[in-house]
Amino acid sequence: MNDLSEWPKIRPSGDSAVLVEFDNRIDPEVNRAVRSLALTIESERFPGINEVLPAYRTVMVTYDPLEIEYEALLEKIKIYLGRARNMDLPARRTFRLPTVYGGGHGPDLQRVSEILGLPPEEVIGVFSETRFLVYFIGFICGLAYLGGLPDKLRVDRLPTPRTLVPGGSVGFAGGQANAIATDQPSGFNYIGRTFVNLYNPQTFPPIPFVAGDEVLFPPACEEEALRAKGRRAEDFL
Amino acid sequence: MKAFEVLNPGILTTIQDLGRPGFMKYGIPASGVADSFSAGIANLLVGNSSGAAVLETTLFRLELLALEDLFIAVTGGDLSPRLNKNPLPMWQAVSIQRGDRISFRARKLGFRAFLAVRGGFDGPKFLNSRSVFARGLMGNPLKAGETLETEGDGLRLPCLKPLPADLIPVLSAKKPLRVLLGPQEERFTSQGLEAFLSSEYTVSSQSDRMGYRLEGPKVEHVKGADIISESIARGAIQVPGDRMPIIMLWDAQVSGGYTKIANIISADLDILAQVMPGESLHFKSVTLGEAHRALREERALLEKAQRAMEGRG
Repeated sequence: MNDLSEWPKIRPSGDSAVLVEFDNRIDPEVNRAVRSLALTIESERFPGINEVLPAYRTVMVTYDPLEIEYEALLEKIKIYLGRARNMDLPARRTFRLPTVYGGGHGPDLQRVSEILGLPPEEVIGVFSETRFLVYFIGFICGLAYLGGLPDKLRVDRLPTPRTLVPGGSVGFAGGQANAIATDQPSGFNYIGRTFVNLYNPQTFPPIPFVAGDEVLFPPACEEEALRAKGRRAEDFL
Repeated sequence: MKAFEVLNPGILTTIQDLGRPGFMKYGIPASGVADSFSAGIANLLVGNSSGAAVLETTLFRLELLALEDLFIAVTGGDLSPRLNKNPLPMWQAVSIQRGDRISFRARKLGFRAFLAVRGGFDGPKFLNSRSVFARGLMGNPLKAGETLETEGDGLRLPCLKPLPADLIPVLSAKKPLRVLLGPQEERFTSQGLEAFLSSEYTVSSQSDRMGYRLEGPKVEHVKGADIISESIARGAIQVPGDRMPIIMLWDAQVSGGYTKIANIISADLDILAQVMPGESLHFKSVTLGEAHRALREERALLEKAQRAMEGRG
């Protein structure tokens, strides 16, 4: 069986969700197929379907089994997979979030620089020039999974995760990057911080990014970065 | 309307309704009452809709002072509820007076109790729900000295006759929790699957509304515990590198990168909510059809209870 006939696969994930799986890799094209399918299913608003959750290479569809039977849902998804090929995705937006690097705001910069054998300025330079792709939103409180980290910046996670990393911290590990939205435990290496508001549960939507957006973290001095404190990320498009 | 003053918030007491489904794509778990059947019954008993906000209290020590004459109902685990110095009957609406004290003294059975008040509890609404999810900056657990208010007047008159006994869940029976294998069952060895399905697991003390960590025989992977991060369904059982299963629950993260061996069926999540850390549990694999049948039966039971309380049963 070749790859084309093997993917996508559809299987149950518990009794109230199905998982549609595309090629097993983190790749912008695979993720494009994921987003196309998610948008197609959402735009149809079929009764019984509750939530449509895109990730790197999967779309989870949660449903009420008392409203739609599993087999009927599978048939629907197969039809949506066909339609998704013609789905236009929304235009990519680019966020530029001023970021203060190093010092107390980037506790791992020095260590990462030593591991990689690059001066801190170069780590900052490479990181801040990268146009990160928002693959999907998840984890907890609107964490954006960012892809596109250059191989030059490939380091492992911390051996022991920090119990608390302040919201807005910007960092990377294992080929991925993120800017965490609220104070959370994390095992990523954090090299800087943005003060732009990335999460507000009193507004809808509670987070600024959607999958497919692009994010850059241009270096800023502390004073400039702090001027963005509490401001909406949409002000930095 | 003012309803209660919190004299002691207990181990963990939060306001919960049916949660905020629909926001997982923004990284926000649905939260909501851990035992939806018990919470639904408590609401119906006092004349609320089954999804009104209730207090969900864990283990013991919650103590409330009534600031008005109220109708309340307590359901769920038996945490020895008291009205002043007397036992407070569970699974029925009770009329209490201003100045009365409600307390939960000691856990007898189960783990979580639900207290509904006629009119439903008020509280700040975040993304269409009053369910407290502190980690997501959406409200906080109860604090001593806090005043709790009701939201409205209730839909119907309270039902002062006890709930028919056949509708009260039996918590003492040691039934296996039913699971649907997958979505990554092929990532486990046959010994790993065998261990998972045939062993007793103890719920670790590091368990909360986010998830239950289990301790017991190791669940062996074929090769590695990691997958490319994907969405996590409620009740998913992930097995990280240490080979100890973790059940992902009401306030759990919505995505993650560990292999998932199985998923608790929806109809058994209420039973799981009443399992206390330190207690043990075991699993039984069922088919998708069986899981859906069980869910249909559970919903039918709540509807039956509703009819009984509306006098149409």
